[in-house]
Amino acid sequence: MEKEVIINIENIAKIYRMGEEKVYALRNVSLNISKNEYVAIMGPSGSGKSTLMNILGCLDTPSFGKYLFTNQDVNEMTDNELAAIRNKEIGFVFQTFNLLPRSNALKNVELPLVYSGVKAARREEMAIKALEDVSLADRMLHRPNELSGGQRQRVAIARALITTPSIILADEPTGNLDSKTSIEIMKLFHDLWIKGNTIILVTHEEDIAKYAHRIIRLRDGLIESDKPNENPKTNFNV
Amino acid sequence: MKFAEIFEAVIIALNSIRANKMRSLLASLGVVIGISVVIIMGWVLTALDDVLAETFSMMGADAMTVSKWDWSGGKKWEEVMARKAITYQQAEKFCEKIKSAEVATPYISNGGTIKYKTNKIESMVSVSGTKSEYGLTSSGEVSQGRYFNKSEEHVSSNVVVIGHGINELLFPENDALGKTIKVNGYKFVVIGVIKKQGTAMMDFMDNQVFIPLGAYSGMFGISGRSFSIIVKAGSKEKMDEVRLETEGIMRSVRNIKPGAESDFSINESKTFEETFAKIQTYVWGVGIGMTSLSFLVGIIGIMNIMFVAVAERTKEIGIRKALGAPRRSIMVQFIVEATTLCVAGSILSLIFCSGLVFAVATIAPKYIPELSFLSPVMPLKLFIVATFVSVCVGLLAGLIPAYRAAKLDVVDSLRSD
Repeated sequence: MEKEVIINIENIAKIYRMGEEKVYALRNVSLNISKNEYVAIMGPSGSGKSTLMNILGCLDTPSFGKYLFTNQDVNEMTDNELAAIRNKEIGFVFQTFNLLPRSNALKNVELPLVYSGVKAARREEMAIKALEDVSLADRMLHRPNELSGGQRQRVAIARALITTPSIILADEPTGNLDSKTSIEIMKLFHDLWIKGNTIILVTHEEDIAKYAHRIIRLRDGLIESDKPNENPKTNFNV
Repeated sequence: MKFAEIFEAVIIALNSIRANKMRSLLASLGVVIGISVVIIMGWVLTALDDVLAETFSMMGADAMTVSKWDWSGGKKWEEVMARKAITYQQAEKFCEKIKSAEVATPYISNGGTIKYKTNKIESMVSVSGTKSEYGLTSSGEVSQGRYFNKSEEHVSSNVVVIGHGINELLFPENDALGKTIKVNGYKFVVIGVIKKQGTAMMDFMDNQVFIPLGAYSGMFGISGRSFSIIVKAGSKEKMDEVRLETEGIMRSVRNIKPGAESDFSINESKTFEETFAKIQTYVWGVGIGMTSLSFLVGIIGIMNIMFVAVAERTKEIGIRKALGAPRRSIMVQFIVEATTLCVAGSILSLIFCSGLVFAVATIAPKYIPELSFLSPVMPLKLFIVATFVSVCVGLLAGLIPAYRAAKLDVVDSLRSD
């Protein structure tokens, strides 16, 4: 049975204007991502992978081309509709964690629920559950600066998962972590994939990409290759 | 808009104020000053309003005074000065002719000195020569003893009715009746004390003494001096009728040709009220101008700090937007923050002003008795006005920075540090 397509991109391009000059961040990219795929997007810096990630995450819209997210045309959406899509459908995990520094872990995890209008009591209940799932229940009243890098990233993952999004979009999630912690985080993603989540990993590290089941390589704003990873890494021993 | 959203925003705002105490204080200083000016001004003017209203009602809204002098201040000074004196004969003729008034009686006043034993009052005492009918007007109403009668008037007895203020000064024991005091060196027996007339603003009304006209005449002389006539209408409703008749009779008594301007004034407490109302309008006008200016400064201060806050928290805005915050929610957050800052400022000034008001109202009158009309408690309406104004200022000051925050690009703001 054909799996449900979540992301459908056709011939998209992104052009930035730098003064008089036009810079092509993406030239012509087409791809489909289906439910429960585990995709790594790779490429050297300047290849356009950040731009692609921003577009996939509905943080930005393409200059040309078509983007259907669960069959909804993203190009036609207003700012607020994009915000709603991000809130409900996309779970972000960033390289720099992007937690609110003055809020504790619990409040950080609750944040997306604030914008989807969940009542405070229910919010807290859900956030505690999400933190338990990443084994951080005992640290939930700590602020980000009182947590280690790995713990912060786990808070971010709990936050990404709280609205049960269609995709999890992780931008260099291990970029600021040591190798031992990186593997712990990759184990977490693997577990999420087993549970049926769709994961898109943006990275420039081959080691990290190897955990994914499909690897898309970008170069100069074009897809260089898009192949399944026949032997995804499943060894999480340090 | 959800209440929870605003509540959340208030919490964020309070945390932010706590994190930047000094900066927040300085930013809201304009608002603090603005609100303080409003409160202090409102407080003084409200107290003034009250005391004037009280004074006017005491002066008797049912009486008028015909005089050479004009109380309203609306007439040219030189013209008033040039008016001929109202002679005793004219005043008497008027009092005989007027029908609509309940009481009409002439009186004449002069500055004088009062002495009881070693106590002497030399300034601000007005000695009035009146007839016995004066006792029938509200200005001649006694609280103790009695006003002098017809026979005392006819024989020019040396009897005196003293004002409330004089009584307080000379007889702290409140035992004036039957005592002999010296008015301009002549011995008089106190037979009555007039009911308190003025308030702090107009205590001259209580520093009067009343003696029979004949006695006055012997002391000061009356030829060439101008008399006044107190005309009691009896009720407010009769004022118009009495005023009209007064005008007509007085004009005929003074031989004024038809069409010529009257050379006397009919003064009422209303005239005072109008004059004070005019002054009040000016004071409020100046006050509003001053507060507008300080609020403008306040708005700029808050707006400025909000721009700084938006710049500082660009990253946070990016994170919130990435996680699905709609524009409205970001706007609400910053507008609420600006408003919270203003309301905090207004609370600060309310506390400050309450203290100041209490201190001034309790201490100042000890040194400046004229200030005793000030109340140590601020009227509730000022609290409401202050809060309302501060909310408005906050909304206004927060609007543009909040709009800018809401419009920020997600990708750019996520990238900022």
